Amino acid sequence: MKLRSKICCHGLLATLLLALSPAVMSDEAKTVIGPSNIDLYDGANALMAGDGEEGVRRTLRGLELAQGARELIIAHSNLCAGYLLTNQPAQALVHCNWVLERDDRHWRTYNNRALVYMRLERYEEAEEDIRKGQELRPGSKNLKIVKGMYLDETKPVRTKIEVDDRRSATEEPADEPPGDESN
Amino acid sequence: MSRQVMSPTRESAKLLFLAVIACALTPTMYAGDDQESPPGTADTERTPLHTVIPEYPKIARRDRIEGEVQVCFDITREGKTRRIAVRKSTHRLFEKPAIRAVRASFYAAIPRDLEVPAIKACRTFRFTLEPVVVEKEN
Repeated sequence: MKLRSKICCHGLLATLLLALSPAVMSDEAKTVIGPSNIDLYDGANALMAGDGEEGVRRTLRGLELAQGARELIIAHSNLCAGYLLTNQPAQALVHCNWVLERDDRHWRTYNNRALVYMRLERYEEAEEDIRKGQELRPGSKNLKIVKGMYLDETKPVRTKIEVDDRRSATEEPADEPPGDESN
Repeated sequence: MSRQVMSPTRESAKLLFLAVIACALTPTMYAGDDQESPPGTADTERTPLHTVIPEYPKIARRDRIEGEVQVCFDITREGKTRRIAVRKSTHRLFEKPAIRAVRASFYAAIPRDLEVPAIKACRTFRFTLEPVVVEKEN
């Protein structure tokens, strides 16, 4: 099965990482209840629900109103995820690059850009992003899943299970006979 | 005129010896992704009737982990497996599938009139991954 179709539907949503709503609340506005940028918040929720088009539309609106570097990074990061969800990897790449040019420790974006590169069949760059992401976030389940997808695409394997009873004769006898021996 | 008659004790000892040899010659079985369960072929009273092949753990496959588990167990007169325990294991991921597979497997029952000592068997599962060559579309 081609990765393109595999990533396209259900699998992608599980592996995409969004910079979500609580982070949208600005650090200064401690007393504000709710998100400071409602469009970014709703856009992220739409993306989480798998509605790529609505997610992109709301996030773009949120980007126009974004205040501060943090909101900008969240907006671009989510746009990268959104465009990938809507099957526009070239557009997604622009936004992932925007984030990583400004924050090269944003492991979520490395995760998402690796998926973008895989969609574009740029596997070496995908591998490099997975490696960087895992350096920044060792043990991330998402990055492991993405790496698994990358390996399935570049180095597919078939499972093989061998059952070997040959040593059974050399094993020591049971400590005690099984309970239902005396039938 | 003298006739050579084999004593019952000697006969049963010979039977047991044959059973042990046959058990040692039980062939190794393989299964790929299709998870087929080949029938037992050993000519012994502890002939495996149904050998369940464990599933390759998804996480192990994803992370490209290979390994080996040896599970030891008792075989009841009815041919059921019991007191299943892991004896050797290279990775914990493989232990549960191996135990489940042994639990679901069974052997030929021993006839009521035959006296056979308790049998403890061990089964080794080797989980490996083989590269697959895929032809890319043009």
